[in-house]
Amino acid sequence: MTDLPETPVIEVKDLRISYGSVATVGPVSFTVRAGQQLTLLGPSGCGKTTTLRAIAGLEQPSAGLIRIAGQTMYSSDQGINIPAEQRGLSMVFQSYAIWPHMTVFENVAYGLRVRRKSASEIREKVHAALDLVQMGGYAERSASQLSGGQQQRVALARACAFSPTVVLFDEPLSNLDAKLRGDMRIELRELQHRLGVTSVYVTHDLEEALAMSDQVIVMRGGHIEQTGKPGEIYNLPRTEFVADFVGSANLIRGKLRADLGGDGMIALQTESGEIVYGMEYGRAPGPEAVFSVRTVHLQVSATRPPGERNVWPVTIRRVVFLGDLTQLHVIWGGRELVVRRSALDGVAEGQQAFLTVDPRHCVLLE
Amino acid sequence: MPRLSSRPRAVLWGQYALGGGVALLAAAFVLYPVYFLLQAAFDVGDPDVRPPSAYGWDNFAALPDYSKILFNTLGVAFAATIMALVFGFLTAWILNRTDVPYRRTLEQAMAVPYYVTPLLGAFAWSLLGSPESGFINQIWRGLGGSDALIDITSPFGIAWVMALFEGAVAFVMIGAVMKSMDPSLEEASQVIGGGRWRTMLRITLPLVAPGVLGAAIYVFAEMLGSFSAALVLGTPARFYVLTTAIYQLVSQYPPRMSLAAAMGVSLFAVMFAMMYFYRRLMARGSYVTVSGKAFRPRVMQVGRLRWVLFGICVSYVVLAVVLPILTLFYASVQKLAVAFPRLSDLTFEHYREAMSMNAVRSAMGNSLLLGVSAATIGVLVTFLLAWIIHRSKMPGRGVLEYVVMFPQAVPRLVFAFGMMWAWLVFPLPIYGTLWLLLIAYVTVFLPLGVRTISGVMVQLDKSLDECGQVCGASWAYRMRTITMPLLRPGLLAAWLLLFIASVRELGASILLMGPQSKVLTPSIVEAWFASGSELTAAMALIQTAVIGLAMAVFTILTRRASQHKG
Repeated sequence: MTDLPETPVIEVKDLRISYGSVATVGPVSFTVRAGQQLTLLGPSGCGKTTTLRAIAGLEQPSAGLIRIAGQTMYSSDQGINIPAEQRGLSMVFQSYAIWPHMTVFENVAYGLRVRRKSASEIREKVHAALDLVQMGGYAERSASQLSGGQQQRVALARACAFSPTVVLFDEPLSNLDAKLRGDMRIELRELQHRLGVTSVYVTHDLEEALAMSDQVIVMRGGHIEQTGKPGEIYNLPRTEFVADFVGSANLIRGKLRADLGGDGMIALQTESGEIVYGMEYGRAPGPEAVFSVRTVHLQVSATRPPGERNVWPVTIRRVVFLGDLTQLHVIWGGRELVVRRSALDGVAEGQQAFLTVDPRHCVLLE
Repeated sequence: MPRLSSRPRAVLWGQYALGGGVALLAAAFVLYPVYFLLQAAFDVGDPDVRPPSAYGWDNFAALPDYSKILFNTLGVAFAATIMALVFGFLTAWILNRTDVPYRRTLEQAMAVPYYVTPLLGAFAWSLLGSPESGFINQIWRGLGGSDALIDITSPFGIAWVMALFEGAVAFVMIGAVMKSMDPSLEEASQVIGGGRWRTMLRITLPLVAPGVLGAAIYVFAEMLGSFSAALVLGTPARFYVLTTAIYQLVSQYPPRMSLAAAMGVSLFAVMFAMMYFYRRLMARGSYVTVSGKAFRPRVMQVGRLRWVLFGICVSYVVLAVVLPILTLFYASVQKLAVAFPRLSDLTFEHYREAMSMNAVRSAMGNSLLLGVSAATIGVLVTFLLAWIIHRSKMPGRGVLEYVVMFPQAVPRLVFAFGMMWAWLVFPLPIYGTLWLLLIAYVTVFLPLGVRTISGVMVQLDKSLDECGQVCGASWAYRMRTITMPLLRPGLLAAWLLLFIASVRELGASILLMGPQSKVLTPSIVEAWFASGSELTAAMALIQTAVIGLAMAVFTILTRRASQHKG
């Protein structure tokens, strides 16, 4: 099949999901290897949650194949559709789905009770799971008395308590406030490594996706736009959508100047006449092409820097202070580009300045 | 691979077999009597031959001969609807939008008329307002007036009783609309310069209008099918509406089944059309303008007027609860009920007699037994139905919802008529037994149970169940550990509603009970027509007390049980 050294734990092939006659997802194919975390990233309505729910067995696909740990869970060809309760997976829900009529202990013990474990094993594993999420002292607390962050931890403990091999995460951090979300992101990643579980994670938050995954799939309108490691997705976006959605990027359009460039480097001429050098990264440029340039990769300086290929005079139109970063809107060849930088040195609205960018950061899109 | 697929199939199959079985059974219990009702309505052959030897429209063609009854029905229903809407709108507005004093207490008091049945109200108001012997008219004549001040047996009087005791739903529905209206919609108008009156005319009224219109249609349909007030007040004076006419035609000798069925089908067709229109209206208009959240609407400062408004609310409670109960009690402790009794005529003899009557004692036992059974079975069945309708992916669940809500559009008397006809020929000897009544109660109260349980079920986050599913729990295990415990308050409320509704049911019971299966409410009505009103008053009060006692026991038990769990 594939040249991977081990068989994937999760295998999704040509999956399609439709409601009535409207196709909402697909075809989608991907694999996740043991111990890896895959993130489905995309704006709301892109089909990422639907795909996750199909893996869990909560949504019935209309076609395709889902295999988990070598066992076929869904196959339209073979007429197999194993119900969610027999797939042996675990899942953390966006709303946490903490059962309010049970104690924290009973919530976490649920999966173990379903599996008819002995009372002593249940006690041991529940406490281990609660300790893991630092909720050890809350076992007898009623679940309805927990704060959002605590509920989220209990949901996590419940998902891990029965030692599942696969855990699915449906935007588990989206209901937490920003500060807590940042902390939980790191904790979750550590937890995942320690337990060695294979996971699929759904989010619309870019930082979350980049920080937590081994592999990221960017989805849009039910289709996969790009698959890759977080660094690839961020540094080498393939489409305008990925460039724009995964961190903000400036898109520079132009006609290919075949007479310039070479050695993997190409040049585009914009409508207003500027020549922009960039890298093709093994992609084949057409006569009309687009570069993606991350806002943080653009440099603005008051004097003309020497020895740069991409240097243009610009006018600074607006300076927006964002805290960690300062965002500059500059007028370049009759259009506006966005520059983000951490330095606050002497730029003022209305000032003339020079814009430079390393050609390696001008990424040719497909 | 085929071996893998066989087990999950079995799981799904088991779950759908139970759900599908209940759904099919419920649908059969609803549709089977309707089929026989239609069959009887189109039967133009020999009335003694079943199944009918000939079909035709003759029974419907005969209806215009009874145009007086049709006009009576429309007139009474119309008058009662207007009165119910005026009561309902006024009280809903006062309690939701003004700074009336003791608002919370009043709001709770407004729910009490529901527990006083229309039948009780009709007895009481008959004692108060019948032209000859009514207490009010006796007092009137005692004060020097001539003739009768009020006549409760007139169409207007019947409509008055119907509005008082069956119109509470208008208050609930209009109140819900006023409660759920986002106050910022009005504030937005005022902030950009719309005055109080402009805001009221251009914003508030259009927003509540669909809700009020919906309530009007709903109440009118209910009034068309109303039975007990017209039976108690209208029948002695030979004033018939459709429901009482149907009852008369069925119970007279010789009965005229086909004509009664044709009347029933016509009534049911009109009510069904109105309910359909009502649902369309609700689905289209009101949810767009009124969001689902509960708000505390801004209240209007009404100054001194607040005590007048307070008085209006209190007088409603007095007319619908306090006065009727006091009247019944007053009548029940006299040898012969008059407005100014002598001290020597006061007696508890009627209570002693009522308690010693064999009919009452066995009827009371039967009613309680039926109430408990119908409520228990009803809650289980309607829970499963609500789950299928709202939570399953079973094909045909949309149709199922329509079928299950069907009995709401059929007056219980008409439905019972269909059942009587249906079960007479069914090869199980349950006709005239308590079993038939049990089936009737569970069936006619399906909409009540499904609506109550659905209300809480749709508020339950779906992922609570899905999480259990992903954890590996089977359907039955999830039902037992997650869904049912979470819905406990809703299920208990539904049980209590079904119990109360069953114990005091009249329309279906009066046709279906047999000599060996008496139940309480029809027995009380029989006593009203056969014995004195004093004995009836005593029986009615005993019934009310028993229901109240049962409610209290139930509340204490469930509260204690829930405290035990922590």
